Amino acid sequence: MASKFIALPKGVSEKSFTAAIGEFRRIVGQDSVLVTAEQLAPYIKTMMPVSDADHTPSASLLATTVEQIQKIVRICNKYKVPIWMISTGRNFGYGSAAPAERGQVVLDLKRMNRILEVDPDLCFALVEPGVTYKQLYDYIQEHKYPLWLSCPAPSAIAGPTGNTLDRGVGYTPYGEHFLFACGMEVVLANGEVLRTGMGSLPKSNTWQVFKWGYGPYLDGIFTQSNYGIVTKFGFWLMPAPPAFKPFVIQYEQEDDIVEIVETIRPLRISGVIPNAVVIAHALYEAPTKARRSDYMTGPGTITDEAVRRIMKDHKLGAWNVYAALYGTQEQIDVNWKIVTEAFGKSGKAKILTDQEAGDDPAFQYRAALMRGDMTLKEFSLYNWRGGGGSMWFAPVSQARGSETLKQMAMTKRILGKYGLDYSGEFIVGMRDMHHIVDVLYDRTDPAVVKAAYQCFDELLTEFSNEGYGTYRVNTAFMDKVAHTYGPVQRHVHKTLKKALDPNGILAPGKSGIR
Amino acid sequence: MNATRAERTASALILTGLFAIVTAAGVAWATSQEPPASGFVWKDGAEVYAKVCAFCHEAKVGPTIRGRGLDPAYIRFVVRHGNRAMPAFRTAEIDDESLAEVAEYVSK
Ligand SMILES: Cc1cc2nc3c(=O)[nH]c(=O)nc-3n(C[C@H](O)[C@H](O)[C@H](O)COP(=O)(O)OP(=O)(O)OC[C@H]3O[C@@H](n4cnc5c(N)ncnc54)[C@H](O)[C@@H]3O)c2cc1C
Repeated sequence: MASKFIALPKGVSEKSFTAAIGEFRRIVGQDSVLVTAEQLAPYIKTMMPVSDADHTPSASLLATTVEQIQKIVRICNKYKVPIWMISTGRNFGYGSAAPAERGQVVLDLKRMNRILEVDPDLCFALVEPGVTYKQLYDYIQEHKYPLWLSCPAPSAIAGPTGNTLDRGVGYTPYGEHFLFACGMEVVLANGEVLRTGMGSLPKSNTWQVFKWGYGPYLDGIFTQSNYGIVTKFGFWLMPAPPAFKPFVIQYEQEDDIVEIVETIRPLRISGVIPNAVVIAHALYEAPTKARRSDYMTGPGTITDEAVRRIMKDHKLGAWNVYAALYGTQEQIDVNWKIVTEAFGKSGKAKILTDQEAGDDPAFQYRAALMRGDMTLKEFSLYNWRGGGGSMWFAPVSQARGSETLKQMAMTKRILGKYGLDYSGEFIVGMRDMHHIVDVLYDRTDPAVVKAAYQCFDELLTEFSNEGYGTYRVNTAFMDKVAHTYGPVQRHVHKTLKKALDPNGILAPGKSGIR
Repeated sequence: MNATRAERTASALILTGLFAIVTAAGVAWATSQEPPASGFVWKDGAEVYAKVCAFCHEAKVGPTIRGRGLDPAYIRFVVRHGNRAMPAFRTAEIDDESLAEVAEYVSK
């Protein structure tokens, strides 16, 4: 007899799973337990170069309260059913809303979406996991609070809880999101509810203002992990500055990246440029205004000559440095002088502001991101090769020119071997750079899918051989990346896992932890 | 198939009651605001279009879809399954009722 389910959790019989589903239904209601192929279709679509079958969930539970989640974990422990947690579930290029392993039950917290508190004086928010940036943005506008968000590029549909739990980044001065997280509520695998930091203290009103609490700091172990289910998330918001000046600095040659990074690093470390600057390659920006097929047809990597033509036709640099100044007009004037002097020295930089570039679609969306506005313009990337395939390759680099040049050259060489383009950017952190490359490929062409998989595997291998680790990866490569960080870290992760979740019910496989 | 908006709001209210009991039981925290009783629900199809679809389909990222007489059933299918780089949207994000409304809104 055909199974009632489209997939089953590993090691769980259909009979047992049927019983578990019955109990889940009693907790969240008949309609909030999804099991049919039609209901689960949206969870199956990913952008990864592996079979959808590898990441097909067995069910999805639409929980709305902490109490439901406490009961759900009890049932999971009873039947050894694993759950995969998502908040807004828009982890595109990292696995989307699909679970790490076939048969896991998605715990979808999108409907748990109350904005619990926004404090306009202390500038913080406390939200449930299903709150999107857009929802919070509208709330702030409605209340006329002078507060800004910091969002990842798909700001309109993603959310602060999931993004920060995966240690995502944005583009304002608050762009390293986990740095600005302050207090979580977590349902543990045994059903207990932990409030981290000051939140553990009854009657405390300092949960969202002081991060460390007392004793070992715990929030970090609930990021990129599977040690708990985050049900409330606190974070700091930026006071809206009186003035804002976005700008872009263009450079003509690929190896100018050395000068760019050497110029930016002191400005960034000293805080003259306060935000997460982006150094975007021409091919990262081109899709907002150019069509690849106008410059290159047939298979293979786009030629450097074609890239030069695109740069010329669409007013792009080989590198395009997006940054902004924030503060009073006087502060901005002083810092603008420092910035223009620093970049003006070699005579290679072309500096453009709102005045010159305000109509440019790439500049517009970058400026929007640097003030935490809503946009999905960066999805233009997917019109470049077409076919919906994407993996973020995200190695960390020192903020040192020679290093960025080396990483770019390595990435270009390996992508070129497989006929893929270098759609790369460097996001400048405090002392690091997140080197972010969208490995774009046609997911409808099986030969290209195979090449993309091999290419990504080789990128990870070669980079780790050089001592470069990746900060985050899609669910098909989590074990591989965990391996690159060595056996001791893996052992510690596993020890924590055993202590906190002995039955392994929470997201087995996340970050290679089981 | 899915709870209607009224049912969801009602259940959210009941659950908020439960929430109050649990917080009273020991994990209370002091906020300067009362947390809202219920979460976000879509007002109508136009709101879904403006707050989700428009970010691509009115921004030259995805194709124009309004006013082309697209079949609402086709729109509903694409929203749930995605299409190449277009993401799929779950019922948890756009409930069936709101999806039907936005599909009508787009097709007209
Ligand atoms: C064009 C494009 C540009 C992008 N740009 C950026 C960018 O600038 N910065 C960036 O960071 N990302 C970027 N992304 C990747 C991704 O889309 C975002 O990071 C997005 O914010 C993640 O989805 P989400 O916020 O819905 O989180 P979710 O998908 O809800 O969560 C992400 C992960 O966190 C864990 N998790 C979620 N909720 C919980 C919970 N309650 N308890 C425990 N664990 C949980 C799970 O492992 C989950 O897979 C981009 C993607 C695209 C397509």
